[in-house]
Amino acid sequence: MPYLRRYVAMLLIAVLMISSLPVAAAQTAGLVTTQSALQADTASSDRERINDVLARADVQDQLLAQGVSMDQVQDRVAALSDAEAKQMADRLDAMPAGAGGVIGALFAVFVILLVTDILGLTNVFPFTR
Amino acid sequence: MSSPLPAKRTLRHRRQQNARPAGVLLSCALLAMWLSGCATSPALQQSTYQLPAHVELESVPFYPQEKYQCGPAALATVLNHSPESRQDVSGPVRQSPATQSPDVSVDSLTPQLFIPGRKGSVQPEMLATARRHRRIAFSIRPTFDALLGHVAAGDPVVVMQNLSLPAWPMWHYAVVIGYDLPDETLIMRSGEIRRHTLSFGRFDATWARSKRWGFVLAKPGRIPNGVTAKRAVDAISDYETQHGAKAALSSWQALVATQPQNAMGYFALGNAYYRLDEPDKAAQAFRRATAADDTLGVAWLNLGLVYQAQGNNRDARQALEKASALPGSWQQQARTALDAL
Repeated sequence: MPYLRRYVAMLLIAVLMISSLPVAAAQTAGLVTTQSALQADTASSDRERINDVLARADVQDQLLAQGVSMDQVQDRVAALSDAEAKQMADRLDAMPAGAGGVIGALFAVFVILLVTDILGLTNVFPFTR
Repeated sequence: MSSPLPAKRTLRHRRQQNARPAGVLLSCALLAMWLSGCATSPALQQSTYQLPAHVELESVPFYPQEKYQCGPAALATVLNHSPESRQDVSGPVRQSPATQSPDVSVDSLTPQLFIPGRKGSVQPEMLATARRHRRIAFSIRPTFDALLGHVAAGDPVVVMQNLSLPAWPMWHYAVVIGYDLPDETLIMRSGEIRRHTLSFGRFDATWARSKRWGFVLAKPGRIPNGVTAKRAVDAISDYETQHGAKAALSSWQALVATQPQNAMGYFALGNAYYRLDEPDKAAQAFRRATAADDTLGVAWLNLGLVYQAQGNNRDARQALEKASALPGSWQQQARTALDAL
């Protein structure tokens, strides 16, 4: 996978450089998009674009590694905004994943959570109100 | 006759050994209590007490979660709740079946949302999946007052909780559908429980662990009451990225209608008009943006560029001069455009 990323990165740098050359003069006629105005980042916009695409490739790799099926992964990555893709690329492993399942807890943990449940700090067991 | 004595001693010894972990356990629990403070009810602003005392959005459907699938279940709950069928506060349910869109099933959401390796669903994908189903996901302000305000306005709120302690997290998505202010009780669709009630204090303790994360959904063209200016612009902008200017236009129009001071809203509306080949309306929107915030350089810049594209060089120069006088990220681009004029 690192080879793939490097390959994609090189390809992207080349494509973006070539594509930016002939239109450089015409670029001023294009309006500033809402999205780039929100990011408020112009100087490094090309680098940002490379990072965005790399982040998406990264998220795709990670989702595949986490068992998401091949035919779903592209649509899922495409649905993310740039900020969301970056967030997930940075820390998908550590991100809270809402599951709501009961944890495979040790007895000690069980007792502590029972106490905190009774105190109203947690809501693990349905029988404590 | 010497054997019973050592046996007794080992027994006592063993009992002492058992007592030690129990003591550790108790002190751990006490430490946890002391660290997190007792679950007191969150302090509410005075304005929150002006809300109706009892609200319950009974028409919000219920999708019981299957194993680990609280993300898809919570999302299906709000996706299938159409605001048209919204009831008045504590009034009778007025449902208009004609406006009901076909149900989005939990099973169809699971492959779009669930991450098998994590046995759960992550927050960015909750918002992204809502957008795939043609809803705009607005993040809410992370306060208890905002949560109650949205529910009172008729919008069920998807929240993320950590039901357990930070050391052994148990992340969970649920939908807040009502509350009782005098009782300080919250009403939710949660997990396998259709009508889960819990105290404000207990809920806030579990919600605070997700930094009070939550969102409301709206179809394009509707802005939920109480959404902040910045969060609204971000939400519609993300929707526009995915579905295009045409799909987002009605939301930008609704945004500037409800928040006339929102300069970024007018700026975004102008961009959407320009994308849809309506330069006159675009210029008008950019002008309104600069009227709402005179220092929004990027709006002056786009206003100048639209005038320039229309061949109106006099007004273009005026706007671009304004833009290039304002310090910020767009100053350089404004100067370049001014020189090229």
